Amino acid sequence: MAFARACALSDVPTDEALAVTVDRYDVAIARDGDEVYALQDLCSHASVSLSEGEVADCTIECWLHGSTFDLRTGKPTGLPATEPVATFPVEVRDGDVFVDVETTLNGVTPA
Amino acid sequence: MSAVETTAAAVEMEHVESHLHPEPTFALEAHPAPTGREEIWRFTPLKRLRGLLEDVVADAHLEQKLELPEGVTLTQISLDEANALGGTAPFDRLGALAAKNAGTAHLLDIAAEAELSSPVWVHLHGTSVDDIVSGRVVVRVGNHAKAVVLVEHTGSTTYNGFTTVLVGDGAQLDLVHVNDWADDAVHAEQINARVGRDATLRQFEFTLGGDLVRTSTNVDYAGPGGSAELFGLYFADAGQHFEHRLFVDHNAPKTKSHVVYKGALQGQKAHTVWIGNVLIRKVAEGIETYEENRNLVLTEGCQADSVPNLEIETGEIDGAGHASAVGRFDDEQLFYLRSRGVSEAEARKLVVRGFFDDLIRKVEVPELAEKLSAQVEEELQRHVLAELD
Repeated sequence: MAFARACALSDVPTDEALAVTVDRYDVAIARDGDEVYALQDLCSHASVSLSEGEVADCTIECWLHGSTFDLRTGKPTGLPATEPVATFPVEVRDGDVFVDVETTLNGVTPA
Repeated sequence: MSAVETTAAAVEMEHVESHLHPEPTFALEAHPAPTGREEIWRFTPLKRLRGLLEDVVADAHLEQKLELPEGVTLTQISLDEANALGGTAPFDRLGALAAKNAGTAHLLDIAAEAELSSPVWVHLHGTSVDDIVSGRVVVRVGNHAKAVVLVEHTGSTTYNGFTTVLVGDGAQLDLVHVNDWADDAVHAEQINARVGRDATLRQFEFTLGGDLVRTSTNVDYAGPGGSAELFGLYFADAGQHFEHRLFVDHNAPKTKSHVVYKGALQGQKAHTVWIGNVLIRKVAEGIETYEENRNLVLTEGCQADSVPNLEIETGEIDGAGHASAVGRFDDEQLFYLRSRGVSEAEARKLVVRGFFDDLIRKVEVPELAEKLSAQVEEELQRHVLAELD
């Protein structure tokens, strides 16, 4: 499967992620300035929705235990999470965000 | 307060607030849909339960094959009749849903004082993952009877079962569950057992296949002198989630419980969970309990969670203990075997066989024990030994 429409760009807040479902995955869409990123909406530590946490400095924070993940690489930048979350390719076309959940950017298999 | 009331309060006969368990009840509204952060749900990937937590009445069934020796009857009864037979109500939403939506219940009745010549064999086979199947079973063993009941699960399904086990006074029951599902099956099961006076329940769980298996076994006692031995073996492959939850409620004096679960994990994202809870009430003087869980992590990328809990309300007991371990292959054992000229593959096989053997040998049905040993080896072949080829 190729890119599928996830949401409108204007729906993505700047300080939080937007939870969307693309195909069989829950995806968190987040932005840092003009760049838009998509991660699997599931903390690799305790299975919490990352989209419920805050986004700042190109990281997303899991609200439950405070692990932060880099939006670009999906890698955790703070404990207790140690495993990266899957990141998906994103394209912005005419104000809409498209995500391809069949390929991951960082090679992590989505849970 | 009268003397009776004071005494009753002192021994806490009525009710004790267990920190680990919600109230058992058949009322579904008392078990709201979990968010995933509750203590009893936090290890379970709820999405992978594929809608088992929703209140849907479905008409699907598992295919059933039976071998009933003399002295055993299997009858269909209504759900209300099943609930009225006794035993503890469901502890969680899954159990309550199974008890509510199963349509009818099966009562497996073993006559009092019967000594079965051969095991009761129940084979349940699932044919489609799209079916949501609810099951309600009552196993009733009459006073002083002696029986072995084997329940074998195979195939693909989304199955939620609630089983009540009533072991009569002085009876002996060996209850064996083999969960050998296909890779896409989802299985939740709650087994609530009540052990009669001086009765013995030996329960075995062998979980070898399925995408997600979550079982919870809850034992209490109908009188003093009862004994519950709960044994489990699980072998999780890549991506599989196997969760076994045990709760022994020592609500009568001079009762015994002994829990041993052993597991092996291999492959990316193999995940096992073992929760062993024991509650020793004030009234339960002179009891003995021991719980043990050991996990062998065979490859990288697996996760084994193991949580033993003890709640002790009286110190007047014979013994209470628990142990838990998560480890990998012992290099020294492997080195020893290699130094004796045993090949690497054979050495690993031997170590795993040695790890599980004492559990498998406890099953006093030779053909089943053999089959299980073979299955463990087959599992090993898939990953650990395949790497060496």
